Amino acid sequence: MAESTAFADETCQSPYMAKITGEEEFVYVWTLGVEGVGDGSDKIVTVDVRKDSPSFGKVIDVDSIGGRGEAHHGGFTDDRRYLWMAGLDDSRIYIFDIASDPANPKLLKTIDDFTEKSGGAVGPHGAYALPGRVLISALSNKDGSGRTALVEYSNDGAYVATHWMPTAADAQGAEVETIADGYGYDARVLPRKNVMLTSSFTGRDNYMRPLGDLVKDQEAMKHFGQTMVLWDFHGRKPKKVFHVPGAPLEIRWAWGPYNNYAFTSTALTSKIWLVYEDRDGAWKASAVADIGTPSEMPVPVDISLSADDRTLFVDTFMDGMTRVFDVSDPHKPKQIYEKKIGSQVNMVSQSWDGTRLYYTSSLLANWDKTGQDNEQFLKAYSWDGQQLAPRFEIDFMAEKLGRPHIMQFGSRSLYPS
Amino acid sequence: MIDTCAARMLVCFVLLAGAPGASAHDGHQESPGSQSAGSMVAGPSTDYAFPLAEPGTYRLPAIKPAAGGGVLDELGRGHDLAELMRGRISILAFIYTRCGDVCPTASLRLSQLQDLAAGNPGIARRLRLVSMSFDPEHDTPDVMADYAGHWRSVDPNAPEWLYVTTVDQKQLQPILAAYDQPVMPKTEPSSTGPLAHILRVFLIDPSGQVRNIYSLDFLDPELVLNDIRTLILDEEQHDRRMSPTR
Repeated sequence: MAESTAFADETCQSPYMAKITGEEEFVYVWTLGVEGVGDGSDKIVTVDVRKDSPSFGKVIDVDSIGGRGEAHHGGFTDDRRYLWMAGLDDSRIYIFDIASDPANPKLLKTIDDFTEKSGGAVGPHGAYALPGRVLISALSNKDGSGRTALVEYSNDGAYVATHWMPTAADAQGAEVETIADGYGYDARVLPRKNVMLTSSFTGRDNYMRPLGDLVKDQEAMKHFGQTMVLWDFHGRKPKKVFHVPGAPLEIRWAWGPYNNYAFTSTALTSKIWLVYEDRDGAWKASAVADIGTPSEMPVPVDISLSADDRTLFVDTFMDGMTRVFDVSDPHKPKQIYEKKIGSQVNMVSQSWDGTRLYYTSSLLANWDKTGQDNEQFLKAYSWDGQQLAPRFEIDFMAEKLGRPHIMQFGSRSLYPS
Repeated sequence: MIDTCAARMLVCFVLLAGAPGASAHDGHQESPGSQSAGSMVAGPSTDYAFPLAEPGTYRLPAIKPAAGGGVLDELGRGHDLAELMRGRISILAFIYTRCGDVCPTASLRLSQLQDLAAGNPGIARRLRLVSMSFDPEHDTPDVMADYAGHWRSVDPNAPEWLYVTTVDQKQLQPILAAYDQPVMPKTEPSSTGPLAHILRVFLIDPSGQVRNIYSLDFLDPELVLNDIRTLILDEEQHDRRMSPTR
């Protein structure tokens, strides 16, 4: 839809999604409510990032959903008119109308029968735009143990299908390297190869449990994902289950027309992994770099690949750092920069031109740090290829908003009247 | 004399002249070493980079009911869109003839699908292609008939390919809303046409259920044909289950 050569968008978005022409104007922050902070409710917080606006760097709109359900991830429909945001605890999906007034999202519809319609999946996580449809990657199931599914909806919110993750008991015809554990987390498509990759985290019993308790429970700590699945996307069939130990989370496909590879990071083993099509046509997965000092458990949580496929930003929650890797050779990432963003950091989003980056702080309600280390912020930076320079920051606790998690970009230019 | 396919390609090149490269969400790129306009148009439609699953080995769940609404055929006669499609497997593409971007590519792919299906009478007689304009002010029935002449096969064995438009925006808008097809005027003059849109092409079964939605990424004539075969196999299995002699 856009014709400018200067795109601004998160580089992690679905390739099926409309792109913004020019710079992003708004950042929508899906924010967990905190009891006793403001209205205590999960909410969409709209931040004005128009650089010439008198309200640049300020919150201009707040839309609460009237409860707390562990707000976490979400995404736009392919036409970018609607923003789907999900709750990991209440398994609800909130559909916001963005197109009518991009500066003022409006809750249009709530899907509250996700578990019933999907046949038992809980914890809707990402919302990934497909043509006319939205693919929801779930994190768990009704029994809390974690075997989960991808759930497909039409853009208007009608349930279409459930695709369960392969397991040892039912690999669904997939080639299994070591194990098929059935966990899920992210789902991303490389259309020209007709492949989809999924990653794996843990079940509801773990992700809703206080982190301090969880890490002391050796049995519970065994129940984290150690797989990535390569799917025949058109047929929605798993083809190969890679062994990627340590909870591989966010997936980022390269954008280059001949770059048939994707990166992920593993939360518990602190490594960058590369999933790639080798010269022989076979898809393979390899650990290609350490992130920080793995033995110190920095816990990588989000990654962002630049649109030219040369730079990978990696956030680690525990030390609050962002590390920048030169991934020009995807098999040999080299760290070129690091900066402490805060006492804790989670999501990172960058503009399509790679010059603006946005960071938020919250991981999960029960996993965030406590006391003075429980900083909750949105911080914006510019990136010149050498270093990050601050643009603005918003203290989400001082503003009585809550714990900010995923960010999505908006612009009025997508919706000319 | 150039053959029909070559003529269609030529039309596509002319319509795409001056058009920028495919936008990122379309995901199409030239193959290494091929930089001509021809390769840009022909690339993914003739050389998709993945093997196709066998028909019937995957599911195509119903996505939503295919909506109806008043439309005009090339002779200006009124019809209900849903009724036009009922009873056959339909491929419905929303396009406009002034498009110099994705619509000519989509029309080329549909023409290739029509040629492929022409070689299989069992498919051709159960298939109908429908191109519907979302630019009624310009795309009158006469304009649609002229546009159809550039793309439609003259092979008597080819499946039917209808070209429809609407009387006006009032008739058009409910149909676009029902198919979730966004169309909006571009804010600045463009060499690729006045309307911004996402390409959506629908696979609709004989009972009127949408069974797949294609962007250009998967509008591979061979892939769409496999989806059509999958629907036919579904239908035959259903008929066998319902048969009293089973």
